[in-house]
Amino acid sequence: MLALVAAHFAIAAFSPAFVHWWGRRAFLVLASVPLVTFLWALSLTGRISDGEVLVQAWEWLPGLHLELAFAMGTLQWLMALIVSGIGVLVLAYCAWYFADDDPALPMFSGVFTGFAGAMLGLVLADDLLILFVFWELTTVFSYLLIGSDPAKRASRVAAMQALIVTTLGGLAMLVGMLMLGEQTGTHRISEILADPPSGDWTTIAVILLLVGAISKSALFPLHFWLPGAMAAPTPVSAYLHAASMVKAGVYLVALMAPAFSHVPGWHEIVLTLGVITMLLGGWRAIRQYDIKLLLAYGTVSQLGFLLVLFSEGTRSATLAGLGMLLAHALFKAALFLVVGIIDRSTGTRDLRELSGVGSQMRWIGIAATLAGASMAGLPPLLGFVGKESVFAALLDVAQSPDGDGTGLSPLAAWVVLGGILLGSVFTVAYTARFLWGAFATKPGTAPTVVRPVPVGFAASPILLAGATIVLGFVGPGLTHLFEPHLELYPEGYHHAELALWHGLGLPLLFSLIVFALGTWLFTKRIVFSQLQAALSPSRSADGAYRAVMRFVDRSAVEVTGLAQRGSVAAYLAFILLVVLAVPGAVLISSLGDGFDVVVWDNPAQAVVGALTIVAAFFTVRSRRRMRAVVLVGITGYGTAMLFLLHGAPDLALTQILVETTSLVVFVLVLRRLPEYFTDRPLSPRRYLRMALGAAVGIAVAGFMLLTTNARSEDPVSVGFPGPALEYGGGRSIVSVTLVDIRAWDTMGEISVLVAAATGVASLVFLDTRISGIRRVYQIPYPEAVQKIPTGPGRRVWLPGPRTLSPDRRSIIFEVVTRLIFHTMVLLSVYLLLAGHNHVGGGFAAGMVVGLALMVRYLAGGRYELDEAAPIDAGVLMGFGLFVATAAALVPLAFGGTVLQSAEFHFHLGILGDPHMVTSLLFDVGVYLVVIGLILDLLRTLGSRLDRQILREERAEEQAVRL
Amino acid sequence: MSDLTWMVPLPVVLPLLGAGLTLTFSHRPRAQQIVTITVLALVVAIAGALLVAADTEGPQVVWLGGWDSPLGISLVADRLATLMLLVSAVVTLLVLLYSLGQGMTGDESETPVSVYHPTFLVLVAGVANAFLAGDLFNLFVAFEMLLFASYVLLTLGGTGARIRAGTIYVVVNILSSSLFLISLAAVYAATGSLNLAQLAGRLESTPDHVALILQLLLLTTFAIKAAIFPLSFWLPDSYPTAPAPVTAVFAGLLTKVGVYAILRVQTLLFPDSPLTDLLLWAALLTMVVGILGAVAQSDIKRMLSFTLVSHIGYMVFGIGLASKAGISGAIFYVAHHITIQTALFLVVGLIERRAGSTALLRLGGLVRLSPVLALLFFVPAMNLAGIPPMSGFIGKVGLLQAGLADGGWLAIVLVIGGVLTSLLTLYAIAKTWALAFWRTPEQAHEMARALPEMEGSTEHTDQGMVVHRDHVHVAGAAFGRVDLEDARRVVDDESPDRDLYQLLRDGALPSRLPGSMVLPTAALIAISLLLTLVAGPLFAFTDRAADDLIDRTPYLSAVLEGDS
Amino acid sequence: MNANLTLILVASSLIGAGVYLILERSLTRVLVGLVMMSNGVNLLFMIASGPAGNAPVIGSTDLDDMADPLPQALVLTAIVITLGTVAFLLAMAHRSWQLNGNDDVQDDVEDAAIRRLALADEASDSHDLSMSATEEDAATDEVYEEEGTTA
Repeated sequence: MLALVAAHFAIAAFSPAFVHWWGRRAFLVLASVPLVTFLWALSLTGRISDGEVLVQAWEWLPGLHLELAFAMGTLQWLMALIVSGIGVLVLAYCAWYFADDDPALPMFSGVFTGFAGAMLGLVLADDLLILFVFWELTTVFSYLLIGSDPAKRASRVAAMQALIVTTLGGLAMLVGMLMLGEQTGTHRISEILADPPSGDWTTIAVILLLVGAISKSALFPLHFWLPGAMAAPTPVSAYLHAASMVKAGVYLVALMAPAFSHVPGWHEIVLTLGVITMLLGGWRAIRQYDIKLLLAYGTVSQLGFLLVLFSEGTRSATLAGLGMLLAHALFKAALFLVVGIIDRSTGTRDLRELSGVGSQMRWIGIAATLAGASMAGLPPLLGFVGKESVFAALLDVAQSPDGDGTGLSPLAAWVVLGGILLGSVFTVAYTARFLWGAFATKPGTAPTVVRPVPVGFAASPILLAGATIVLGFVGPGLTHLFEPHLELYPEGYHHAELALWHGLGLPLLFSLIVFALGTWLFTKRIVFSQLQAALSPSRSADGAYRAVMRFVDRSAVEVTGLAQRGSVAAYLAFILLVVLAVPGAVLISSLGDGFDVVVWDNPAQAVVGALTIVAAFFTVRSRRRMRAVVLVGITGYGTAMLFLLHGAPDLALTQILVETTSLVVFVLVLRRLPEYFTDRPLSPRRYLRMALGAAVGIAVAGFMLLTTNARSEDPVSVGFPGPALEYGGGRSIVSVTLVDIRAWDTMGEISVLVAAATGVASLVFLDTRISGIRRVYQIPYPEAVQKIPTGPGRRVWLPGPRTLSPDRRSIIFEVVTRLIFHTMVLLSVYLLLAGHNHVGGGFAAGMVVGLALMVRYLAGGRYELDEAAPIDAGVLMGFGLFVATAAALVPLAFGGTVLQSAEFHFHLGILGDPHMVTSLLFDVGVYLVVIGLILDLLRTLGSRLDRQILREERAEEQAVRL
Repeated sequence: MSDLTWMVPLPVVLPLLGAGLTLTFSHRPRAQQIVTITVLALVVAIAGALLVAADTEGPQVVWLGGWDSPLGISLVADRLATLMLLVSAVVTLLVLLYSLGQGMTGDESETPVSVYHPTFLVLVAGVANAFLAGDLFNLFVAFEMLLFASYVLLTLGGTGARIRAGTIYVVVNILSSSLFLISLAAVYAATGSLNLAQLAGRLESTPDHVALILQLLLLTTFAIKAAIFPLSFWLPDSYPTAPAPVTAVFAGLLTKVGVYAILRVQTLLFPDSPLTDLLLWAALLTMVVGILGAVAQSDIKRMLSFTLVSHIGYMVFGIGLASKAGISGAIFYVAHHITIQTALFLVVGLIERRAGSTALLRLGGLVRLSPVLALLFFVPAMNLAGIPPMSGFIGKVGLLQAGLADGGWLAIVLVIGGVLTSLLTLYAIAKTWALAFWRTPEQAHEMARALPEMEGSTEHTDQGMVVHRDHVHVAGAAFGRVDLEDARRVVDDESPDRDLYQLLRDGALPSRLPGSMVLPTAALIAISLLLTLVAGPLFAFTDRAADDLIDRTPYLSAVLEGDS
Repeated sequence: MNANLTLILVASSLIGAGVYLILERSLTRVLVGLVMMSNGVNLLFMIASGPAGNAPVIGSTDLDDMADPLPQALVLTAIVITLGTVAFLLAMAHRSWQLNGNDDVQDDVEDAAIRRLALADEASDSHDLSMSATEEDAATDEVYEEEGTTA
């Protein structure tokens, strides 16, 4: 079975190619797969009727109790025959219906064949979830097929409706399935049906399943998508929306009925909605002009009818249902195909324009009449056989004491029966309307011009119509075939059998009455139509759907407008409020007991702390950018002091270096920005901000008080000193930690620096990362400066005259800079080497070089910078990162772990002979990265901005000159 | 199988090495490409090997620099970590290939490759490090790595919109980093350690209310990264403006790193107080508010960004259930969502390339224009919407089953919420499909013009959606701080002034898509479908991973008395 | 372990002031606020590291009155990362100034558009799909009456 389903999808995948080669004839090839399926199913007839059930199952997702399981009993066999058989005919029909040059054809053929496969899978699945898989696939395929003429707005809308409505039902059904699975521990349909669970949980689950069935089979109030779906090409309507897909709901109910028809709510829901749907569909069908739409509403009506039958849960009703199921598939498909033919060969479907068609396409007319007669329930057709047994079955329910085992009250049963009778009257009426509208020669209407119909085109409907006759005579045979399924139900009030002749009795009488009333209704159609127009309801389910979707769209906009403030401040506030609300709340609740605190470790802390706080206060108040920056710098230095007082000289040193660098960078950028923050008046909002700030500050203080007091164990770092010396080979534990114990963090940290610097560069040099270094000898002397010839080889000691406008020069500064520069570089090297044992390390060392470069730049301008470091910052950083990571990897070569370090000694002249460790290499990498970072900042925020300023000045001068 | 612990740091070190090299070779794009591709391919291979090792031999632990417990930093590659590692490695490799194929066109002038490669590699390293980190502070460093890289990638080219988006993204994330540091200080103050395994032990001896505060602090921090309601609003404002491949990799990976952190910390450090209800409520709101946002959007990129947020809710749902089934489902969903969300954003990049815009108001007729593109969009989109039998469906079923098994009323509410969310996801996607793919460009053009208040000035139509909104809907109400000028600036540097119809009329579009972009996309989609085929084993794997997380001994024993 | 009140006071006021500043519109101010916050946060680690002591350099002092080195190492990393933050945000502020003539943090445009929709009680552009699929037969009713009367 899996093979057959798979075959469908396989050929579907290739169908575009086929269409490309053979045009529309490709459909004949595509029809082969369903044909094989049909013959295969047919070949099983004997075994099935002996009550055998074929099963195939493969493990797929044991974790979710999901098995790739298929089973074929009587019901599945019947459905498979219908699906594949009609599939063959419709596919063949497509070979004449479409035009070769239709651009949608390749996609259509694939989707259509795929659908056939999905449908087959649906009816064969023996695992709830597998059934759902195919169920949803049919939904998606039908969505694509309805929209296969996407240029038409109506078809887009219809596709959307069908998708949303059926998926809504499908998802409800999924939850129901999962609930059943949760209860029974399996999703195998056969096992669940074998011993069905019970209880409220089951009731809910089953009702959810029904929701799925109702949406799929277009029961009121979810029926409206089906008429809309008629926007699809006629073959689609014939196959999906008459013969197969809409039967999925019926199939599900028929499948579940034996086990669950006594679940509370089952009868109430399905019978009520079924009858309503049958009446509503019939009522609206009678009003239609588009003969296709007429059939569509007819289908809605018939689906309600079928669901009533299968939900009754008696043997005779089920038998009648099976009969009708088959009959309906045959005649409705036939009629739709006829409509397609009429549409194609006359160019219209409006029964006001059609006239004298019957006389021009006689065979088709006859076929349609037969099919219609079957729909109306006339002998000797299958439809009649079905109807008869329906009436009989419903009578049993109404007359027998216990409702023929259903437990329905006689009143309810009679109401149902009455509804069905009235529905049948409507059926006769709209059938008559259809046949008259499509084929009759209408006085006063010009006879329609009909293009000749090729035989192949007409074949399918004629075959289907033929089938309705033949099967009409073999009622008992069918009854025998259906036996195995019927035995799921107790023998009923009467023995039920499908037959042309049940003898004289109420059922026959009913048939006669129905036919009489129906025809009468048709003859009185004008009067009746006015009545309908008068009664036509103001609000339709369709309108309700649109209202709901509108509501969804609206609330979406409202909610989003509410949540997405689009402003950073708002988002930050959200975050901080959450911090206050969630951990803060716990904090308050746990502030009962007091805390052990020391006011300070040494009074100096208080002094520095006070200064820092004051600086912070004025930072907040300052409205000049520069002042704010300087003040925040002061808080930074204060922090550094506090570090020092706490016993963290490395930290203090780094903090000071970083703080200074930041100050310089700030200044470099701020020279471009306005002096004052803003001229906006202070908003009252600021009080909220103050409150929030205060609250957060207090909360943090609380966190720290609480947590510090909770400390019970020594920090892991008590273990550091020993190993730091022996294993890490360094005295300064912090440095060892940085380049050895936690070198991994440091590696990440320098990569952060690299990324940041790259980012700055990409924001400043928008076009390229390469920062165009210019050496002094490349620069022309300004006028009025005495020239000294220079070239790549020779260097000038003070390039100032050449690079700076006289008014910006300070000879002293330049000279001093040139003098201290190399000293600072040397110092940095010392720091680098000494770092392991004393204060220092690669980072501090790098920062020192950075400072040196800054001074060079500030004194001598950008050319001086390029003289000092004639290398691209990016390359420098990249190389640094490379060295560091390489140093991290080297130990692997010696069977160590990443970042493992070894110690050795060597001489370094005046700098003494310190212990050297391989981690030094890593530190060198850090050193280079840091230098690169500073260089990069100077090049971008320094030199580059210089150039921009210069350019603007020149532009202004130009403007002045002109 | 031989001891592979030496491999564990490589997924981080190699990309950094590559970043160094690519920077050094700033002037040789060819060399950069070779380096990057080699490195990423290596990472994929290593991740695969580690996955097998972790599954067969238990967690692979390495104490870096040979500094054994409790001193140094440990990296731990257990089932969960390696799975995340492998998925992300594959995704990043494909995204990189895509961006090479794109040649970053559309940003030709804006994105110097010599910025792109190193930064991208640092991002990859950061993500890998976050998955492997066995130390809270190292996790912080990992976050900083990927964040800084993402800052750079997000502001590539520094256009107005990217700076605006970048500001929101950067500032929010810097705050979250400070929050992370505060939490770390608190953790260290309370326990004196930052190694996850040690913390697991030490936290048992800390008073409950203190532990709870620490847990909530960390949770809040990670919730910002994972974009969980009400900490999610920054995401849709920042992601969509970046170049397509960047958005793709962000959407796929970054939020998942946050989810991973939550999962890891919740299960390892705070097994006794899973905060079930809090998480479930957050999950519900994340799902619903997120998907409503998606429905409200009229730009494909933004729509997808909102579905991204919304579907984070599914994962939080699983974590919140704190049952084996729930966590397993969540892990599976993460794996699925990484691939699918990335794939979708890559496809959107293709749309932008082919049709010149991603604004629904300007698009139409893509089915006819490029059937391949239609297929590439439809399949992953349906997967995202959880249409069976694709991985999205499987993940959803797993979570729904877990929810029903839990049986609590809140869990049931979550199940309903989850179902509605997937329906609305389908709705949002079908809307996009109908407007951008089915409706013809002419219709799109006409509709844009026909909008009531638009008569007269085609310029305004051409100004695109934002300004068009100004004209159509504001009804004179000056709202918010964004005036027409700002709006026009954005539209101008964001997308061309002509809609698809006009572009086609003027023949201003590439006639076909470069295979070098289509192939990686197709490959990623194929992988997402592969997830369906291997769903059985994969789900079994996530089940085992969930088991490891719930009984913590595998992790703890491997780290504390592990062989290193 | 005792908490150092002074440090806590300083740290929390720095953080509080920082929060106040980051809620501002001017990117420079936001940056200043972030720097101040990070200073405060770094101090938290000093609090967490317990009582003050001497520099953790072996030999210069005995192990007992040595300050806890681990938090120092952590803070060092944090400080460096802050430097990166400063540099990058400044570059962004500068770029934003180049583009907009100020360094104010801009609001998101799309969100503003959606808020406008909300204000105007509109839905977003799904008008294409908000019509009836079966309006044809709805339309036929009227025609029918006419025919009914004429026939």
